Amino acid sequence: MARPVDIVLEAKGLVREYGRVVAVTGVDLSLRKGDFLAIFGPNGAGKSSLLRMLGGGLRPTHGRVSICGEPLDFSEVDWRYRVGVLSHQGFLYEQLTAKENLQFYGQLFGLTELDARIARGLDQVGLTDRAGSRVGELSHGMRHRLSLARTLLHDPDVVLLDEPFTGLDPSAAAVLRDVLRQLKDGSRTVIMVTHNLSEGLELATHITIQVSGRLAWQGVAAEVDRAGFGRFYHDVVESQA
Amino acid sequence: MSLYLRQIKVIFWKDLLLEFRTKERLIAMAAFAVLTGILFSYTLDTTRLRPADVAAGLIWMTIVFGGLLGVGRTFHLENQDGAFQGVLMSPVPRDAVFLGKILANFLLLYMIAILVLGVFTFLFALEIRSSVWALLLTLALGSLAFVALGTLFAAVSSGTRMGETLLPILVLPLLLPVVIWGGVVTGRLLAGRPVSEVLGSIRLLGAFALVAVAAGALLFRFVVED
Repeated sequence: MARPVDIVLEAKGLVREYGRVVAVTGVDLSLRKGDFLAIFGPNGAGKSSLLRMLGGGLRPTHGRVSICGEPLDFSEVDWRYRVGVLSHQGFLYEQLTAKENLQFYGQLFGLTELDARIARGLDQVGLTDRAGSRVGELSHGMRHRLSLARTLLHDPDVVLLDEPFTGLDPSAAAVLRDVLRQLKDGSRTVIMVTHNLSEGLELATHITIQVSGRLAWQGVAAEVDRAGFGRFYHDVVESQA
Repeated sequence: MSLYLRQIKVIFWKDLLLEFRTKERLIAMAAFAVLTGILFSYTLDTTRLRPADVAAGLIWMTIVFGGLLGVGRTFHLENQDGAFQGVLMSPVPRDAVFLGKILANFLLLYMIAILVLGVFTFLFALEIRSSVWALLLTLALGSLAFVALGTLFAAVSSGTRMGETLLPILVLPLLLPVVIWGGVVTGRLLAGRPVSEVLGSIRLLGAFALVAVAAGALLFRFVVED
């Protein structure tokens, strides 16, 4: 049982409604430093809405999110230093170069030793030789890797990844997988939304299945029967849908 | 320099850099300004109307409609690849984002406003030498009020299905004080009246610009946050 002081990310009673549509309902989560949670679920299960609420990009209709014990307050900005988000969208400016994009975000965060951080980040995702290329000239996979460098530039405590493997070719996926493995160094808390069961099972320490806005099942990755997980996943989705 | 001021500067430089790389707003606004000036110069019967009597209104209408072309697209590049969402997820106060954006928009619109004044001065043979500084100040204050309101409502309209087409409907009624005071000052100065005669209107325009900037900075977060 995690002591409250160990908990990095906590969500209590999260609900998100869009008009009459309930995207997320009754979500409680509690994650410690070093935890890597994979959220599986069918399309429309509310995974991205949940992730956006956890990252402060979407205001919950009800419930609250805390990071290191501090409730997320949308009128404050300090907690945003602790969170890095990799979304479907890259949050990149096509007319700026890869390096200029990272400089822009680094300066918004007021980071020190920015040039060194940028060089490290570009090296980590294998884009050092494309630092001067405009984002509009980069392939989808390269842009995604650059987005990952942007996400990690400020060394966040909590990293939120929304379907990071979608649309990547095998080599780009391999680079991403390597970086995500590096994130499992025990210093961060990672949440990854994905449809890819095998990637999720390989990387995560904890697993949950979200269906119709609810967390229908939660478990520890090491205790999961990987061979039979696909069947189990479909059974959970079918029973809750 | 505090982080807050640095963040304003970063947003300002980024917006300017994007504009000077794409030139999509600057070229559209400049072309509109020049073409409108040329069209008006052909449509006015200068044997019955003195150009100086009508130029002030035409100058301000050209600035307003040309400005809408540019300010309306403030969030166009921001919405590509969700970049603005990334800005909002950064630890930047919303008013700093707003101030950075209006400073960049102000610089662009002020350049266009000076171009408009130059085009009309040339085509309508206006005499502005004696009042050029007062005219430039009036254009600056009017441009500042315009971009403060225009940027705020461009953020509103960019989040709607109607997009840029909604912007004029929202913002034109609020720009009435800018057009009235700006037009009055410009008209009197072009008619050769002394600057002291229009100081009151210039002060009112300045006060309106400050209120527009302050209101925009306060309200921006309610517009952009989900």
